[in-house]
Amino acid sequence: MLRPPGRPGARAAALWQSDGRRSEWSREKGSGVSGTIERRVPSGLGALASVLAGVGGPDGALVFAADPDIGDDWQDVLAQFREAFEATRQALAAGAPVVYVVDQRDLLGQRGPGAAMAATGLLSGARAAAFEMRKAGIPVNVIATEEATPPAAVAAWVARLLEPGPGGPTGELVRLGGEHLGKALP
Amino acid sequence: MSALVVVTGGAAGIGRAIAARLAAAQRVVLVDRSPATAEAVAAVGGGAVAVEADLTTEEGVGAVVAAVGSVGGPLVGLVNNAGITRDARLAKMTPADFEAVLAVNLGAAYRLTSALVPLMADGGAVVSISSRAYLGNFGQYNYATSKGGLVGLTRALALRLAPRIRVNAVAPGLIETAMTAAMPPEVLAGLVQRIPLGRPGRPEEVADLVAFLLSA
Repeated sequence: MLRPPGRPGARAAALWQSDGRRSEWSREKGSGVSGTIERRVPSGLGALASVLAGVGGPDGALVFAADPDIGDDWQDVLAQFREAFEATRQALAAGAPVVYVVDQRDLLGQRGPGAAMAATGLLSGARAAAFEMRKAGIPVNVIATEEATPPAAVAAWVARLLEPGPGGPTGELVRLGGEHLGKALP
Repeated sequence: MSALVVVTGGAAGIGRAIAARLAAAQRVVLVDRSPATAEAVAAVGGGAVAVEADLTTEEGVGAVVAAVGSVGGPLVGLVNNAGITRDARLAKMTPADFEAVLAVNLGAAYRLTSALVPLMADGGAVVSISSRAYLGNFGQYNYATSKGGLVGLTRALALRLAPRIRVNAVAPGLIETAMTAAMPPEVLAGLVQRIPLGRPGRPEEVADLVAFLLSA
């Protein structure tokens, strides 16, 4: 049975705490420009947070990972959207790229309505943001992971999408793994 | 007793066309926060019932639940159509406009569906009106997020409620409504030029599709 949306979740306020650390980043080639990226990774994705700590990118870039334990409380879903909205605006205002990380199962609606709304909403928001930033050449992309996706693989794709280079993808969904094959996809 | 269908955002545009299409065979509970709701019910005919309610509030959802109870008859359908836009570039989009669109277009649909599904007869159906904007649109970060969220909600509920209740979404493109009528002609012409049919869709065409998806 569908669980009714609850009151404002107590966890909503505390969930999206940025770890407060910013990873210093230096280009191996070129002028030696250094930058910092903003990582928003919920506590349920600790392993991913660890590997992302080693990922750099252009100054002000954003990596935003959806909460795997968000549940079905609308207030928690809204809190995540709010956080993504504010962080994305900040990154794009700085002219920096954005990568969202969601779970493939949530894009397919397999883990309940809260997680599904969050994942598909973030995907669509990223596509809209990419539209806006297209002419400026600032990429906004999404990575969909699977349960078995190694965090290192996610980090590698985050790094790649933060610096796709001229003519690189934007507004794209990169699906890691093959669990999506043969399924009706959003 | 006639079967009941609830249609939100039914006072105008696509919602009104859906209500009119359904009212030919079922009793329609037409929900809108616009004062024009009662007038729309008169136009729809077929014994439709008006509920003026703000579905972003518990009271509004409660008013719909109460209306369904008082009208009586098996609840066989829900159409989540209520929606608003607050378009702006991300740099100029206010948090209030972001949240208002999410609250109406997605949160209200979720709340109302959660409240009505337990009352729904076996074999009932939910149809949510998303938008092709879920694929991305300029100046619509908030709207796209909400309509994409509706797609996810639909997928999750379709899995969770099957086989008792069917859940689907429709994602219309450009449709002739008051909103398109208010567009600058050159903007509208530019959009129409990209449509292979050479014209916008009509609300009645969306209504036909919704009626099909609601049918057993």
